[in-house]
Amino acid sequence: MTTTDIAGDTPIEPTLQMSGIRKVYQLGDTEVVALDHAEITVEVGEIVALVGPSGSGKTTLCSIAGGILSASEGSVVVGGEDITDYGSKALTTFRQNQVGFVFQSVHLVPFLTARENLLVVDEMGRREGRVARDRADRLLAELGIDDREKNLPSQLSGGQKQRVAIGRALMNDPQLVLFDEPTSALDTELGAQVMELIRNEMKARGTSAIVVTHDDRITEYCDRTVRIVDGHLAA
Amino acid sequence: MKLALRELVRRPGRFVTATAILTLIAILLMFLGSLLDGLIRSSTGAVRAQNADALVFSESSQASFLRSRIEPGLAATLEQDLGADVGGLGVVQLGARVPGNGPRDLANVALWGYELAPDGVPEPPEPGEVWADETLRADGVEIGHELLLGSARTAVTVVGWVEDTSYNGQGSLWADVETWRNVLNTNRPDAALADGVFQSLVVRSGELGADTTAAVVAVAGPDYIALTVSQAIDEIPGVTEQQTTFNQILGVTVAIAFVVIALFFALLTVERTALYGVLKAIGARSRTIFAGLVGQAVVVTLVAATIAGAAVLLLDLAIPPGSIPLYVSASRIVTSIVLLLVAAVLGCAFSLRRVLRVDPASALGSS
Amino acid sequence: MFLALKEMRRAKARFGLLIVAIGLLVFLILFQQSLQNGLLTSFVGAIRNQSAPVLVYSVDGQRVIQGSIITPEMEQLVDGADGVGDVGRISQRTFTVTAGGDRYDAGIWGYEDEALGAPSSLVEGRYPTTSGEAVGSDADASNGFGVGDTVVVEPGGLEITIVGLAEDVQLSASPTLFVTYDTYVAAIRSVNPDAADPLPNVLGVAPEEGITDGALVESINAESEQLDALTRDDAADETPGVAQVRQSFLLILLLYALVVPCVTGLFFLIVTFQKSDALTLLRAIGAPAGRLVASLLLQALIIIGAGFAIGLLLYTPLSQQQLGGIPLRFETRAVVFWAVLLLVLGVGSSLISARRVLAIDPIEATTGGANR
Repeated sequence: MTTTDIAGDTPIEPTLQMSGIRKVYQLGDTEVVALDHAEITVEVGEIVALVGPSGSGKTTLCSIAGGILSASEGSVVVGGEDITDYGSKALTTFRQNQVGFVFQSVHLVPFLTARENLLVVDEMGRREGRVARDRADRLLAELGIDDREKNLPSQLSGGQKQRVAIGRALMNDPQLVLFDEPTSALDTELGAQVMELIRNEMKARGTSAIVVTHDDRITEYCDRTVRIVDGHLAA
Repeated sequence: MKLALRELVRRPGRFVTATAILTLIAILLMFLGSLLDGLIRSSTGAVRAQNADALVFSESSQASFLRSRIEPGLAATLEQDLGADVGGLGVVQLGARVPGNGPRDLANVALWGYELAPDGVPEPPEPGEVWADETLRADGVEIGHELLLGSARTAVTVVGWVEDTSYNGQGSLWADVETWRNVLNTNRPDAALADGVFQSLVVRSGELGADTTAAVVAVAGPDYIALTVSQAIDEIPGVTEQQTTFNQILGVTVAIAFVVIALFFALLTVERTALYGVLKAIGARSRTIFAGLVGQAVVVTLVAATIAGAAVLLLDLAIPPGSIPLYVSASRIVTSIVLLLVAAVLGCAFSLRRVLRVDPASALGSS
Repeated sequence: MFLALKEMRRAKARFGLLIVAIGLLVFLILFQQSLQNGLLTSFVGAIRNQSAPVLVYSVDGQRVIQGSIITPEMEQLVDGADGVGDVGRISQRTFTVTAGGDRYDAGIWGYEDEALGAPSSLVEGRYPTTSGEAVGSDADASNGFGVGDTVVVEPGGLEITIVGLAEDVQLSASPTLFVTYDTYVAAIRSVNPDAADPLPNVLGVAPEEGITDGALVESINAESEQLDALTRDDAADETPGVAQVRQSFLLILLLYALVVPCVTGLFFLIVTFQKSDALTLLRAIGAPAGRLVASLLLQALIIIGAGFAIGLLLYTPLSQQQLGGIPLRFETRAVVFWAVLLLVLGVGSSLISARRVLAIDPIEATTGGANR
């Protein structure tokens, strides 16, 4: 499953490699299997659509890939880093450095400006100061919202909010960005624009992404579609 | 922490009511504390000022000056046997007619006769003269005034001021012992004392230090008791009771501050569960989030305490002298602030469990 | 009803904290009310509950019995004033006494005429008939001041036997012994051999028939600027310190009372804000706004009620105690007064949240604008 770089000599590790993933939740006396021996690999720069109905296990898979949840069985390697046996502290540090998240309802901090919403990533984790501020300014410019940097989320349109959320996800220069239903709260036209933007940004950076959705229309913006039903993956 | 402080600045409205409540509680705490300090200060100043290793009272007096009786000769014996400086001390509480005041408008005074000067009080003045406590200014007393004491209208002239020497809530006048004895015997025949008899003795024995009280009792015999200054203060009626009662009330008030802060931040935490989930998902540690919460509590408390401190200072200025014995001191304000801060931090700890329990996974897959 | 209780059960910690906060506040308010009344009663109870309707002080006394001295000239002036019926001498001083093996500061109150200075009524025993007998304050009965006990005045060893007890007759928060005047003089002499014949501290005066107490006071005060006549209740209220105690406690109680509606109001405001989504949904599915408001007010009622119950539970045992010689009492009137006041203030403050509930537009459930 490894690819080689352009020169063809050094093999390049895939961004995400999940194998034999099983996730079991205990609900009272009964066990609920959310994921059953799931296997997925995301190559560098690849955008994968993860499609499935509600309750199919997409969020669980995404949470495990992002280091939010630990799998009951199986192994997870992100950017060459095996996080399978990480404890919660190590997972927190991992999330600070390796992954970016764009949440379903954007979830910007309501009392912070667009720029501050990006900088919150640095404040909560790496604390790079000036470097982070420069990166935030660059991202805002690249995402076309630098004229909105001083606006609060309540003063932004839905599309602008989504751009801020994408900027936030890219703040730590992640290898992998996880998008959780990024267009569910947007109308068709805006949804298309946002997906276009996501594709462009990911491709420009060579960053891999998983886009969780139950909307088949957005799969066309992705390189590959993986379907998930009842915890089972099917390419 | 920056995030938490930004929220305070950007959304002050959210914290206004809690700050207002805490301000009220802080005012209560500072007001009650200052009231206690004022009460204690105005009851104990004259005794507190005594520069003594021991104060001697008669055994059955319960350390009450009015009831104590020291026979002549004891002072000389103590001086001889202990090599100590010993001076007589006595007090009489009377109404004083102040020049310029109405015929029924008298000042309450405690006239002290002394031989060894207390701290901040000069050597005894000439017969018929007194040093007056500054609190008597509120009664219109001025330097040069001839005050007429008691129903016998015994005249004494004010020749200077002294500070913080009130006794039983009354302003003190400090005179030589003969002037005191004359005023006492003329105005209070029932409490009259013969020449050489005192109500108490001040014993200064540099060498014996803490052992002075025991040494005095050993020399003076079972008819006398010897107390340190702080013991004598505690024996002033009401002092210990006031301190205990007020401190209990202050304690419960701090407990209320704790519960209010706990409640407010518990509610805020519930409201922010989703936000905390997102922050945790992007790599924030519970510690960082909780530190922000504590930071907010500390700022809210400091703001409340500052407003309350200012309010109590204004109240102190607004209250007419002599009505409520409020004594606002920096140490009381600071103690109150520290107590409130402790309550604030502990109150926040109540939300710690909830912060820890916020699952970063909650940020995914929900709207 | 269903909603209100379900919500409280689900968020026990939050509602519990609020109830505890209110409970503590109620406890403090009631305790301080008892403390104030106990303090004032033990401070001036002897003046309020003695038999002379009018007391005459010397102006020099500044309305403190021990500080007042009535000279023979003043006594003559009072005797000669219009409207004066009977006049009796009263003197009072604090002595060290031994009772039940312990030493106490005790006030000895000597009166010449039982109708002018003895306790108005007794709860046990009889009035003194001979020298060496006393009526004691019943709050101190268990400390060796009970009927039949003998109290020794120190130094000098004068013995006084207690033959009766009266309620609420302490002075300066100390045990008080009401004795005939000759017993009082004997006590003074026994402790101070240098003492001259004591002058009376105050005079107890009864008006002639047809003269009111107020008129008598005016008539005596008109005789001389050295006389300070006061009715019994005024004498108690005007004792130095009484007004300060009242003012201080009034201010303190007002502040505490203010905290209750603030805490309750804030709580419901935040809670209402937090659940505005749920409330909007309930409105959308047809719940009448009135019912939601009723549920909110019911919660306020339960919280204030439960808080009050906790406060009362803490207060009741404490109100049976003595605090540093000050007998506390369960103040039923205060309990009822504060219950009504806090209920009105607490429920009233939650009305701000009720306004918010009423302002919810069910349409927001479909547009998602509820939490804006």
